[in-house]
Amino acid sequence: MIAEQAFASAVSRHREAALSLLVPATAVAGFACTVIWAGTGFGSYWPIWVWFAGLVPISLFWILPRVTEEQEGRRLALAVHAGLTAWVIAILVMIWIAAGGGPFWPLVTIVVLIAAVVLHAVILRRAEDRGEHELEERVVELTRTRRGALDVQAEELRRIERDLHDGAQARLVALSMQLGRAEERLADRPEDRELVRAAREEAGAAIAELRDLARGIAPPVLADRGLGPALEALAGRSAIPVDVEIDAGERLAPAIETVAYFVAAEALTNAAKHAGTPATLRVSRHGDVLRLVVADDGPGGADPAGSGLSGLRGRVEAVDGELTIESPTGGGTTVTAELPCE
Amino acid sequence: MRVALVEDQALLREGIVALLREQGIEVVAQAEDAQSFLSAVGAHHPDVAIVDVRLPPTFTDEGLRAALEARRRHPGLGVLVLSQYVEPAYTTELLEVGSGGVGYLLKERVAEVRTFVDAVERVAEGGTVLDREVVSTLVRGSEPAGSETGIGSLTPKEREVLELMAEGRTNAGIAKAMVVTQGAVEKHISSIFGKLDLPQGGDDHRRVLAVLTYLRATSEG
Repeated sequence: MIAEQAFASAVSRHREAALSLLVPATAVAGFACTVIWAGTGFGSYWPIWVWFAGLVPISLFWILPRVTEEQEGRRLALAVHAGLTAWVIAILVMIWIAAGGGPFWPLVTIVVLIAAVVLHAVILRRAEDRGEHELEERVVELTRTRRGALDVQAEELRRIERDLHDGAQARLVALSMQLGRAEERLADRPEDRELVRAAREEAGAAIAELRDLARGIAPPVLADRGLGPALEALAGRSAIPVDVEIDAGERLAPAIETVAYFVAAEALTNAAKHAGTPATLRVSRHGDVLRLVVADDGPGGADPAGSGLSGLRGRVEAVDGELTIESPTGGGTTVTAELPCE
Repeated sequence: MRVALVEDQALLREGIVALLREQGIEVVAQAEDAQSFLSAVGAHHPDVAIVDVRLPPTFTDEGLRAALEARRRHPGLGVLVLSQYVEPAYTTELLEVGSGGVGYLLKERVAEVRTFVDAVERVAEGGTVLDREVVSTLVRGSEPAGSETGIGSLTPKEREVLELMAEGRTNAGIAKAMVVTQGAVEKHISSIFGKLDLPQGGDDHRRVLAVLTYLRATSEG
C-alpha cells in the first residue's frame, strides 16, 4: 500500500516534466521513422512499435494522476491498483492488435488482473465498514460520556452552591448573630457597640457577596425545585409580562435543566431589553427532545453572533442540542432550543 | 409570646433560641426536620413558627412546604420563613395559603436583633413582614430601562421607603429606620402611592399587600 502511494506521488510529481519530454520525443521519433518507412518503399508499418514505445510511458503519466485525484489512504492504493491494471490491459490489447490479432492470448492475464482489483475492492469495502462501525460506536460512547461529564459538572456546581449556603454562609450568619447579640448587651457602651455593629455589617456584606456568588454558580431555585418552577419564578421576575406554558415532565438531567434555564434567562433578558413587549415562554417534551421557545413581538433584528446569543449556542451545543434564532427585522424574535433528554 | 423553631443546623438553631430568650420570647419547641416540626406545632400551639427553607432529607424546599402545611392545619398560626436566598415566588406561595401573620426573611436578618424580634412580634400579631430584598428583587426585575412611570420612576429614597413598607413597618418605624421625620415619610409614601396608582390606606398589612399586589401584577403581567 505504501509502495503504491509512493509510486502515485512520484508519477504526479514528475508528470509535467515527463510529458513535456516524452510527447515531443515520441512525435519526432514516430514521424522520422514514418518518413524512413515511406522512403524505404512502405511495406509493413513497422514504426507502430516506435509509437507504441512512446505511448506506453505517456499513457501511464496520463492515467495515474486522473484516477488518484482526491483519493487518499486505502482508497488511493485501490485507485493506483485499478489504474495500473487498466493501463496494463490497454498495453496488452495494443500489443495484440499491433502484432496482427489472431487468437486473443491476453485473455487469461486480463481476467486474473481484473479479479485481483475486484478482490482488493471487496477487502477495502469490508475494512471500511468495520471502521465505520467502530467510529459509530465511538461517537455513541463519546456522546454518552460527555453528557455524563456535563451532568456531573452541573451536579457538582449545585453541590458547591449548597455548600456555600449551608457551610460558609451559615457560619457567617451564626457569627453575625453572635455579634448582634453582643451589640444588644453593649447598650450602655455606645463606642464598643458601634465597633461591634461595624463588624456585624461587614459580616452581612460578606454574606450578601457569598449569596451572589452562589446564585451565579447555580440558581438555587433550580436546584431546589427543578426546571418548571424555576422558569416560572424567572418569568415572574422578568421586566416584561411573560406568558408561561411549561410541560417539562419530571426532573431532567442536571446539565439539561441548567442549559434550559440559562437559555430562558438570557432570551427573556434580551426580550425585556430590546423588545419591551410581552413575551411567551413555552417548554414542551417531544419524545426525547425538550423544546424551549421564547418569543416576543419586538423589532427583531437580533444578531445571532452577539456575545450573549453565541454564548448560549455554546452551552446548547455542549449538550448536543440545537439553538435556532429567528429575528427578521420588524418581525419579533423567536429563540428555540432543542435539547436531548432521555 | 410562644415560638416554635425548625432549623437543621445546630449552631444557628441554638443561637436563635438564645437570642429569642434574651429578648424575652419563649421558645416552646425546637425541631431539626419538617416532620417533627409539624408534630411539635400540633402539640404546643405556638403563636409563631420560625422555619428554615432548606431542611433534611433533600435540603431543597421542605421547610417552605412544612410552613405551608402548618398554615393550612392551624389557621391563625403566624409563620416566619427564613431563607438563604430571596425567591419572590416563595413569598407568593406563603401569602396565598391560610390566614394569620406571615413573614419571609433572609436568614442573616437574625443578626439585626431588633429588626428580627420586631418581625417575629409583628407576625405573631397577624402582620406581614417581607425581606427588603424581596421588594428590591421584584423592583429590579420589573424595571424596564429608562421608564418614566411606575416602579422605574421611584427615587432611591422612595424605593427605600417601599422596601421598609414591605417589611411591614409603620410610618413611625420607617422614619426611625431612615433617620428622618415621620412627616417626610408620609410625603414619600403618598408620592409612591401616587406614582404606583395604589389606594391610600392606614392598615399596615393592607399596605404591604397593596405594594406586593402591584409588584406581582407588573412582573407577571
